[in-house]
Amino acid sequence: MRYFIKNGSIIDPARRVATIGNVLVEDGKVVQVVDLADLALAFEPLDDRTEVINARGAVIAPGFLDLHAHLREPGGEQKETIETATKAAAAGGFTTLCAMPDTTPPVDCAAVARQIREIARRRGVVRVEPVGAITIGREGKTLTEMAELVEAGCVAFSDEGNAVADAAVMRNALAYSAMLDVPLMAHCEDVRLTRGWAMHEGAVSTRLGLPGSPAAAEEVMIARDIALAEITGAHLHICHVSTAGGVALIRAARARGVHVTAEVTPHHLTLTDRWVLGWLEMHQPADVRPARRGSRDRYDAGETGLGLPAWLKPALLPPYHSSTRVSPPLRTEEDVEALIEGLRDGTIDAIATDHAPQTLVEKECEYRLAAPGISGFETALGLALTLVHRGKLDLVDLVARLTEGPAGVLGRAPATLRPGSPADIVVFDPDSPWIVDPAKFLSKGRNTPLAGQQLKGQVMLTMCRGQIIFRRGNFGVGTGALQQASRLDGFLGADNEE
Amino acid sequence: MSTGAGVVPAQAYDRRRHVLDLDDFSAEEIGEILETSVSMKEVLGRAIKQVPTLRGKTIVNLFFEDSTRTRISFELAGKALSANVVNFTARGSSVEKGESLIDTVRTLQALGADMLVMRHSESGAPYLVAQHFHGSVINAGDGRHAHPTQALLDLFTVYQRLGRIEGLKVVIVGDILHSRVARSNLWGFTRMGAQVVLCAPQTLIGPESFWKATWPELTISSNLDESLTGADVVMALRLQKERMEGGLLPSLREYSRFFALTAERVALAGPQCLVMHPGPMNEGVEIMPDVATSAQSVIEEQVANGVAVRMALLYRLAGE
Repeated sequence: MRYFIKNGSIIDPARRVATIGNVLVEDGKVVQVVDLADLALAFEPLDDRTEVINARGAVIAPGFLDLHAHLREPGGEQKETIETATKAAAAGGFTTLCAMPDTTPPVDCAAVARQIREIARRRGVVRVEPVGAITIGREGKTLTEMAELVEAGCVAFSDEGNAVADAAVMRNALAYSAMLDVPLMAHCEDVRLTRGWAMHEGAVSTRLGLPGSPAAAEEVMIARDIALAEITGAHLHICHVSTAGGVALIRAARARGVHVTAEVTPHHLTLTDRWVLGWLEMHQPADVRPARRGSRDRYDAGETGLGLPAWLKPALLPPYHSSTRVSPPLRTEEDVEALIEGLRDGTIDAIATDHAPQTLVEKECEYRLAAPGISGFETALGLALTLVHRGKLDLVDLVARLTEGPAGVLGRAPATLRPGSPADIVVFDPDSPWIVDPAKFLSKGRNTPLAGQQLKGQVMLTMCRGQIIFRRGNFGVGTGALQQASRLDGFLGADNEE
Repeated sequence: MSTGAGVVPAQAYDRRRHVLDLDDFSAEEIGEILETSVSMKEVLGRAIKQVPTLRGKTIVNLFFEDSTRTRISFELAGKALSANVVNFTARGSSVEKGESLIDTVRTLQALGADMLVMRHSESGAPYLVAQHFHGSVINAGDGRHAHPTQALLDLFTVYQRLGRIEGLKVVIVGDILHSRVARSNLWGFTRMGAQVVLCAPQTLIGPESFWKATWPELTISSNLDESLTGADVVMALRLQKERMEGGLLPSLREYSRFFALTAERVALAGPQCLVMHPGPMNEGVEIMPDVATSAQSVIEEQVANGVAVRMALLYRLAGE
């Protein structure tokens, strides 16, 4: 089967290309990319075995690479399986996932890594690359057989969810992994500072009486790990950086040549701890502090005072809604601004989802006792695009942070649409508005604070190895612009439940 | 699955449905409750301490944490209004028991409960319950978050003694960080126009900016002697012994030396200053026995007023 994707805006950060054009795919490879300016080549290869996909108004880009996803299988199949996770990822435009090792059993030996790859090969629709554990059982004591894990296909190491508390173990892990040329992905959290935490420590946690996780708990660990990366010369990758202080430490370390890279999640780039207030955020009796935090009118005028786009309204949630509980916690507006700046200036290489599906039972309980995590694949692009719509980041940079950036972290050539490269392609409409409806998620994880929120921009079609693995409605069929049906798709979710 | 519809701002209703925190009470509403409390106190002074207001209604006291005075106070208040009062005491959290909080609430609803009075060790638990319960939810203390009826009875006690709340200087001293009483009193007293001073070492209160963001009028101090100058009310909070084990304090002795209410310290505020404590007291730690029983102390009055204030609140929720 051949596919001719035409009239899209081609964004290929690796080749520094952003143009209107066509892409021809055959036998799992990109065969030809045609810039419409070059009219001589703009033929339509119409024949029986070629499907023409009309992508007018949409962006054609290399498939996204997610450095950080929790697929839950093996051991957590009630939350998610590799099959459902990869389908959800495809709906989010991702064609490659790094699977975090906090499964049961954890990925601390080659057999588990091979098992994950095998399940992914049989039932997954996108590429799945396992991340190995740093220590046996993710307990922070004994190093795993890292060289063998790399042989079995692991592309990085992480004790994700747990920080390696013992600095000597972390130093050894960095030093040992240096010879394997793979990054060590550090979950940076000093657990002695976060004991019993429920949310970010600050004004909101003080008001709500919830035990806090201070920004300093992340910052001291980032500082420690940077120092250890410096003496070992190893490649340190900071997972889900969430604090302004963390960004500053990484920026300074990079400036003096330490091999440190970093990722940030879509929710840390857009949401703040004020989401835990839910409707208390905007609900203040007028006789106390008139309009200090804003009324409905100010929301509608686009001034949220939250560093949020006007169309995201935390007030849709009840206070203490457990969907806002995530690790690391949602931080403050200042942190959000610093993360965006870090992403813009390249201090942060990649946007990674930290997709963490949880069951309803684990979430429908008292706030502090709820399992942390946000089901992130299917809202990642829409949430990240809010930065573009607010003029904080340009679209090409956004695509780069989802493709070229994460590829660089793994030390590989960036995904590209260059002829001859594998046809991992995403087509997305950056403007199409839709309402988030968790009931329609392909992921088993319905845990998102975004239920009922409007996002702008969604994936229309995803291709992996030249196969269409996700298609929204009947996108691309016929000659019209974007299909009206697909635009309506999101609006139909207005009666969602959460 | 929850729709969240049960929890909406109070203003969306003509009358109040839940009492989850004092933050959504206007000064006007608090004033009305204090006025009703006066009538209720009068009822409690009669030979037959009962009125038929809540006849046929079922109130469940859902206590996931041990409590003596609050539970009994609610029970007496409910009975004085002729409601059927059922006590449910669950040691430990519902999660440890295996039944989820939501399931417990659904069960009580199926059994016909009209109102839930709940105490829980987790901040925010009443908000979760309110989403799943069709009747009224009254927060009788949740974690560190809120204890709205305690704050209302404190306001009522001060109001009865001093005749006003606006313009008073109220000093709250002790373990502010872990105190739901402090937070609810902060909402109540600031909303009624009092000047509140919080007094504690930083380990028991946290950074000043965290408080000022929500209550900009607030004063925070770690010098009790200084704070007491000109105070109209001073309230000592219970110091949990666990705070010592957590390393938040060097010793009880040192805490007591610098933060306990002693006769000498209270004298700094003057003879008109009311001494309050939400109980239970650690006499000799945060408050000296002679201060607790002095003429300035209204600690027993607080307990007595609790029943009247809770009656006023139940009456209001019944919408009569």
